[in-house]
Amino acid sequence: MLKKISISKISELAAALMDKGLLLAPVKEISGHNFVEIKDPKQVDLDFHNTIASPKAAFFPHKEDFIKYETGKPIDTASVVALNLPPTFLFGARPCDVKSFGIMDIHFIASGIVDPFWKQRREAAVIFGYAFDLEKPAQPEEFYQTLGIGAADPEGSDIFMVKKGGDLLLNSVTPKGEKILTELKILNEGKAADKKYYDEYIKKGKEYKTRSMCLEPGAITKKLEDLFQNTDFWNRVSSACISCGVCTFVCPTCYCFDICDDTLFGHGTRRRVWDACMFTDFTLEASGHNPRTHVYQRLRQKINHKYSYHVRKYGVISCVGCGRCTKYCPVNIDIYSIIEDAMKA
Amino acid sequence: MSFEPKILGIACNWCTYTGADLAGTTRLHYPPNVRVVRVMCSSRINPSFIFRAFQLGADGVLVGGCHPGDCHYNTGNLYARRRLAVTKKILEFAGLEPGRFRVEWISASEGNKFAEVVQEFTAQIKELGPQQKLKIDELQEKA
Amino acid sequence: MTDFRQIENNLKKEAKRLLEAGEVAVVLAYGRGYDEKHPMPFAAKTIADVESLVFNEYCNFNMASYLMRYPWGTKIAIAAKAADSRAIIQLVQEEKVRREDLVILGIPAYGMKNQKTNEVVDSKTTGGLYNPVIYDILLGEEIHGQKIVSPYEVLAEYEAMDKEERWAFWKSQMDKCIRCYACRKACPMCYCDPCFIDQNKPRWADKAPQSPGNMMYHLTRFHHLAGRCIDCGECSRACPVDIPLYLFHKKVAKECEEMFGQAAGMKLEDKPVLVDFRVEDSDKILE
Repeated sequence: MLKKISISKISELAAALMDKGLLLAPVKEISGHNFVEIKDPKQVDLDFHNTIASPKAAFFPHKEDFIKYETGKPIDTASVVALNLPPTFLFGARPCDVKSFGIMDIHFIASGIVDPFWKQRREAAVIFGYAFDLEKPAQPEEFYQTLGIGAADPEGSDIFMVKKGGDLLLNSVTPKGEKILTELKILNEGKAADKKYYDEYIKKGKEYKTRSMCLEPGAITKKLEDLFQNTDFWNRVSSACISCGVCTFVCPTCYCFDICDDTLFGHGTRRRVWDACMFTDFTLEASGHNPRTHVYQRLRQKINHKYSYHVRKYGVISCVGCGRCTKYCPVNIDIYSIIEDAMKA
Repeated sequence: MSFEPKILGIACNWCTYTGADLAGTTRLHYPPNVRVVRVMCSSRINPSFIFRAFQLGADGVLVGGCHPGDCHYNTGNLYARRRLAVTKKILEFAGLEPGRFRVEWISASEGNKFAEVVQEFTAQIKELGPQQKLKIDELQEKA
Repeated sequence: MTDFRQIENNLKKEAKRLLEAGEVAVVLAYGRGYDEKHPMPFAAKTIADVESLVFNEYCNFNMASYLMRYPWGTKIAIAAKAADSRAIIQLVQEEKVRREDLVILGIPAYGMKNQKTNEVVDSKTTGGLYNPVIYDILLGEEIHGQKIVSPYEVLAEYEAMDKEERWAFWKSQMDKCIRCYACRKACPMCYCDPCFIDQNKPRWADKAPQSPGNMMYHLTRFHHLAGRCIDCGECSRACPVDIPLYLFHKKVAKECEEMFGQAAGMKLEDKPVLVDFRVEDSDKILE
């Protein structure tokens, strides 16, 4: 089903979605756009290339409370935090980011050990994918084409949106999306010309140029396995790395977390917080031993996890090529160049 | 109910804490709002103690040490003076009322000065009202 | 003023000479990144590496951050712009590196640009110096005649704010923090291991990115850098969410300079102000 709305009326659409539940949409902040829970429909701003942080926080928040307890009381007085999620609309996620949810699903659901928080959040959400603007060139850091992701891939979204001049075309991809589209009375019916434009746009999106190389999951896995012991190689690519957590925190497919207890005057919360394999204390054991003390070991872990271990375990590369890690790296380490180097090595 | 401020006092073992003791033994009256923590020297005070105290709900923080030159460890309070001066500037620039943090040199024989300072400081904090800025939100709900 | 290309050539020439003569084991400078606009810090260890060295207006990163990766006694040549040289002095003062281990390749640079915003990096976000304070070899002509603007001028607007307004400003800024710790990792002066925020006992703040923990982390970090911050502005440039950390650091630096009469990283023989005292320090500073 294809519907359309004028972009100038976007805040009305946002208001309609807010009536139905929670709306997460890009908002212009001082330093760039970010997905934010919308309080005022006028905040929604679709004039962005991509957000600073990936939308993974919609399903995997930076801080997730699990259990509340009182210190010194018996364990049965502790209570599990219930989510009670309203329908959530993730509005305007780019195709590469939408793809990342599928990759994270493998880890959090399909691997057999189900993460209830991720699952509930995923089920409550309707994803409005939003194609990149094909008229504008890709950012230098992006490389989703390498990973076989087009700039206008509707796959993974419930509703996929494409900009047509001053209009926004919304097409349902899943039955869930179709239901929402029928319910939104504010939308106009799409005409045959719109349908044609939409189909062509999706097709054109496949050819949208970002940095790209031929990357076959099996080949890169093999290559990285061979390179594992090559300390010189890893030392060279990681020589600039300062071990901060920017790359992992902005990454749409990084899912490592730390479980911690925070107590305040006897009231405790057990929660999970994002952690980053780049931090020195990530692998620090209680004994004081740390198996990854060097920078190169940590960067090697990150690259291998995404391009080798994940492929070996689940058969997919755990990277969508959004380029955020490269863009926000304080010392401009480029994951694409490392993979390129690895393939050549 | 009128506002009774919670004030954290951090006192050095050799001068201010003994001074506070003297104030007690000479039966001087001063407000009970100050909870005193004893440290060995004013230079032992980590600035994070002060930030954390405000976060955990202190309305004011009073630091007491020996008079410069009288430090039991010779130079401790001279370092502390510089450090705490910076702490004060940081709190001020962050937007906290400067009156909520105070450093006083009170010797072991100045029981009356201790009582006076506490009286004065408590009155000042009462005027400023509850400290809401740095206080952790969860604590504010309970209050 | 020497242009960047000429500086790059001089850098290559000196690096080659030093490595060839065996005077240094490593040259810390900038290398090629994934494009011209994104050069990377680079450690040249062989003569073949020298060809990869670059220098252009986007080479902002403070190379002094890498000095402590090498054990004492390793001879290091380091490309140092004004702020980098101040960081080196500060690290020497703190006995983290030894002056005799270093060959400082001074780079006078004017018109460095922030790659994110493309704005010229000036006294607004950094110390605003153009010439390295200390060097062994200068890779270009010293820059003179540029207008000197006090690095503290930008503070006036914030100092004039009402305290409620300033609190609201800082709170909104700190709430953005995602606790990636890029600021502390990009900072040449942040070398503690472990950092206070990573400690479990005592646990100073939550690990979660929420207001109290963020505030605790940043306020304490400002304090730890009091009298040590050399105003290179790298913390704010590294920040993915653009928190203007440089403002607070500038303010603390300004207060320290006013109270103790000494700016960080200007003279090798100075002592950092907070590990020093004068008997004649006035009690007025506490008011």
